[in-house]
Amino acid sequence: MTSVTSDVRIMRDGRKEATIDASSRDPHGRPVDQQTLNEEIRRVIAAGADRISVTGVMGQRYIASACTDRELYIRIDGTPGNGLGAFLDGPTIEVFGNAQDMTGNTMACGRIIVHGNAWDVTGLAARGGRILIRDSSGYRVGIHMKEYGGSVPSIIIGGRVGDYLGEYMAGGSILVLGNGSRRSPAGSSIGAGMHGGSIYVRGPVEEHQLGIGAALQPLDDTDRQRLEDMISDFERCFSLRVTRNWPEYLKIAPLSSRPFCGHFDPIPI
Amino acid sequence: MSAAERQGSVFRDRFRPFISEDCVRCGRCVKECSFDALVKQEGRIVANGGCVACMRCVEMCPSSAIEVRHAPPQMAPHPTFTGRVRESIIAQAGSGGVLLSSCGTDLPYDVIFDDIVLDAAQVTNPSIDPLREPIETITFVGRRSGRVRLDDGGRLLGGSGPLVAMDMPLMLGHVSLGAVSLNAQEALFMAAEKLNVLAGSGEGGLHPDMYRYADHVNSEVASGRFGVTPEYLRRTAAVEIKIGQGAKPGHGGHLPGEKVTELISSTRMIPMGTDALSPYPHHDIYSIEDLQQLIAVLKESTEYQVPVGVKIAAVHNVGAIASGVVRAGADFITVDGFRGGTGSSPRVIRDHAGIPIEVAIAAVDRRLSQEGLRNRVTLCAGGTIRGSADMIKALALGADVAMVCTAALVAMGCRVCQSCHRGVCAWGIATQRPELTSRLDPEQGARRIVNLFHAWNEELKEVLGAMGIDSVESLVGNRDRLRYLGPNPKLAEIMGIKHIGEGWG
Amino acid sequence: MRIESPRTGARQRNEEAYAALPAYGAARPEGSSYIMGGCGIAGVMNMAGEKVCGDRIARMLSTMSERENGLGAGYAAYGLFPDDLKDLYCLQFLFDDEKAMTVTEEYLKNRGAIVRDERVPTQRVDSLRPPRPIVWRYFFRPDPRSEKFRTKEQSEDECMVEAVMGINGAIPGAICISSGKDMAVFKGNGHSYEIAEHFDIARYDAAMWLSHSRFPTNSPGWWAGAHPISLLDWSVCHNGEITSYGVNRRFVEMNGYRCSLLTDTEVITYTWDLLVRRHGLPIPMAAVIMAPPYYRDIERLDENGKKLAYQLRATYKEAFLNGPFSILVGRSRPEITMVAMADRKKLRPLLIGESDDGKTVYAASEECAIRSVQERAETWEADPGSPMIARVGEGIVRRGIEPPFGVMDR
Repeated sequence: MTSVTSDVRIMRDGRKEATIDASSRDPHGRPVDQQTLNEEIRRVIAAGADRISVTGVMGQRYIASACTDRELYIRIDGTPGNGLGAFLDGPTIEVFGNAQDMTGNTMACGRIIVHGNAWDVTGLAARGGRILIRDSSGYRVGIHMKEYGGSVPSIIIGGRVGDYLGEYMAGGSILVLGNGSRRSPAGSSIGAGMHGGSIYVRGPVEEHQLGIGAALQPLDDTDRQRLEDMISDFERCFSLRVTRNWPEYLKIAPLSSRPFCGHFDPIPI
Repeated sequence: MSAAERQGSVFRDRFRPFISEDCVRCGRCVKECSFDALVKQEGRIVANGGCVACMRCVEMCPSSAIEVRHAPPQMAPHPTFTGRVRESIIAQAGSGGVLLSSCGTDLPYDVIFDDIVLDAAQVTNPSIDPLREPIETITFVGRRSGRVRLDDGGRLLGGSGPLVAMDMPLMLGHVSLGAVSLNAQEALFMAAEKLNVLAGSGEGGLHPDMYRYADHVNSEVASGRFGVTPEYLRRTAAVEIKIGQGAKPGHGGHLPGEKVTELISSTRMIPMGTDALSPYPHHDIYSIEDLQQLIAVLKESTEYQVPVGVKIAAVHNVGAIASGVVRAGADFITVDGFRGGTGSSPRVIRDHAGIPIEVAIAAVDRRLSQEGLRNRVTLCAGGTIRGSADMIKALALGADVAMVCTAALVAMGCRVCQSCHRGVCAWGIATQRPELTSRLDPEQGARRIVNLFHAWNEELKEVLGAMGIDSVESLVGNRDRLRYLGPNPKLAEIMGIKHIGEGWG
Repeated sequence: MRIESPRTGARQRNEEAYAALPAYGAARPEGSSYIMGGCGIAGVMNMAGEKVCGDRIARMLSTMSERENGLGAGYAAYGLFPDDLKDLYCLQFLFDDEKAMTVTEEYLKNRGAIVRDERVPTQRVDSLRPPRPIVWRYFFRPDPRSEKFRTKEQSEDECMVEAVMGINGAIPGAICISSGKDMAVFKGNGHSYEIAEHFDIARYDAAMWLSHSRFPTNSPGWWAGAHPISLLDWSVCHNGEITSYGVNRRFVEMNGYRCSLLTDTEVITYTWDLLVRRHGLPIPMAAVIMAPPYYRDIERLDENGKKLAYQLRATYKEAFLNGPFSILVGRSRPEITMVAMADRKKLRPLLIGESDDGKTVYAASEECAIRSVQERAETWEADPGSPMIARVGEGIVRRGIEPPFGVMDR
């Protein structure tokens, strides 16, 4: 059985900073198992840590899932596994490396910042908070994001994404910047069945890439404000510059809030 | 009427229209009834006998005042000599004739489709949302090569074809002009065009007004060769040799002279008023080699531009027959089950000859697979495809295409009263009388067929999505996704499907 | 009242449930008809022709520990035999007993020459549950003139297909787990690290490794049922479940293959052999057949592409693998080649990686598998249904982001 080592220090500003080293391997070369690592994270949170730095992460899943501490900051070095920050409701997670699949699954509040790529199913069913990916993400990003009450989720991707971006989308915003991509920054079936929210893509999107119920629509002032907010946040997070040449930005929004009316026949037989 | 003539006539009155107090006595129903089952007497509408329950009066009555009730004459109950049995005996004792009927058999055979249940994806593979994600239903009809050959540069040297691409795995069956009116046939063709599927021409030739639908017509070459001309073979998307029909395997056709009007005469190219007879066999096909010749000459004559198929009735040895048909060069093969419809057939054959389509599909599919032929041919199957569930099960049992006929006629107005052979269809479908045929607006009929097929295709997508399949070819022959829930496990074994409760394999 | 769960490791907890199940060697598990589950796959190839030590692939695979439950793992090595052996068919067998072995040897001797045979080295791993089948290796040269072959005058490859199908279908207690040239499969019932240790994988240096760990959901452990599934020099590691299994199985059976391994992966392996070796189609075209583009996308191809795509979809509709999958496919002839691709909806994870020196290509279900052995690498996802193809000596010839007929490499 492998173990993790941790160290909690009180910083000059009175904040408690914990460091967790997850780099040990078992005799077969296998990384620390996820349960051990997550237990350690929960332990240092309970001990009052405000900042946690986890190093040597290698594929451990569900890191910081269902964490609710709004002031908490978690730094991850390495490759966090699937389901990073699932059900997250408050903390900020910053990853230096690539994240895997299902990052920010059903997230409610907080921030996930990835200095690299985050692959498939990023931000599934997010209900609030913000996910920022410096490079690319994979397939089925932002599926069924929704807004409710004052909570509005958003996802910002620096590179490109695959098919089914924002499928079932019911609220919130997605921005794909298309850095470094010679192809269209998004795949096909964009916004399939979307009935709320907006998807913004910087770069070419052709009609055939749109899913059913989604349409290209002109940007208005509210859109530009929203974009300004997301872009400047992205710039701050990654120390990058993003041009704000608005004609390059396309907006994809739902045609209707009830896209499949008339598909079913309720007649009693 | 003499006493001998009177004997039994009462039994033919199986239905009786009842007029409620809501009747406004407009007399519309009397005009609508082509069976003279209603008359106006002293200002009131009364039943006149002879009602067949075609429902025309019920649906046309402006004040919804008519109800048709099943009114069987009461004979002493007997489970063996049922009312129907005794009626037949009494009728034949009077007439000495072969009993005729139409539509499919009305004997209460178990429908095996209803004993089959479908699978759905859970956990180990995901279902697919057919509303938001593409589910493909494009279906090809025609010859397949089994492999694609390329030159060194990756260019095509040889492959499948000719193929017709349809938007859904459905085709309209053969209904001949003569059996039905030109309006009815046009509605079917028009629907086929809008749906991008094929529609059968039937054996009665193609009226020049129908040439515009040529890209969606599957032209039949039957034993009577009515209207088969070079033009006929040019104005078509596919050619189909009819060997047999599910409702009357081994039987020919007989369109009585009174139906051979000017229109029918010119289309079938026979004199007006003469009987149009389709011989029982093709007299140029007495063996499988002869079938090969007919297929070959049709391919030659159509310059290999359209697929040439063969339609056979589902009979006991259908697997071996189908194999022979494929070896004879058929590009597609249509198997018609014994519950299938007809415009007119001897009752004894309709009700007692052939096998159900469910078993026939599985038998043909298995035989062709065993012989390494299944991927050379398109298998179409019909004979009571009543809804999308039947279509889906037919596909999973091994058919590429479900052929539908009766349901399309019902969409246009047919209420399956089984009186087509009498030629006075009140809905203007199975009749040539101008005052009746004018009741059917082809555009409206086509619209209803389009709606119906569209809905079935959407239901197919729903089921495919639930099974985690995103293109219909992955359903064809996928018997793993069916289970049997009926009374006879032997049937399941024969069809190659497992019993409910058994897992995958 | 609330009863707390005792603190146990996640893996232990998962696996306690399986410990009571019976395990099987070569013989088919009773009552099983089809095996499904979720899995981990990993592959590595040195494109410069240098060798990769087996411990590297074992580390990649076992890093994805959440993707296995101890009921099967396996490795395929390509380019591992010396010059005097690499042109012979290497048949590796699992035998439940000596009798199965004797019958098999008799079977082979009737159909060609056993040039050399040896026990495949294994070491005792206490945590591996019995049975532990005998693993034996034969370097074999078939004799197409042998009267025992049902088909006369067929190629040596066809002789081998017939022999392997014959043995797997007919000799109880014997399963041929690999039968190609200059390649071998090592697999069994256990965790990835246990199987690696059992076969002492680190003793082998190979140009390419493919690997697979299992998480079967409805079946016991079965040595022969572990992946990779191999025929001739093809081997396939597969994660997913084919919803068109019945159609695909019938298709390969119609083309003379006999399915005996109860898994859709077997059908995928035979489909590759049929399409590429027998029908002579380029790999990207075989990929188009197994994961075809949607008609709506076909419509946007040029005239030739459209014609070709329609031909492939219509002619090979039974070879369309529907449902979620990601696969790694290897072959050793004409050159050692790795293919990595996912289904056309990209419903299963698959990541490609290239080391920063451009010498090594990786493919795996998860990023961590690649990072665990190569910190500095570029990683990317191929397009749905689009194969990444890499070849020793040539490098990555197709990255998997090209249009369907963009790069038609054999």
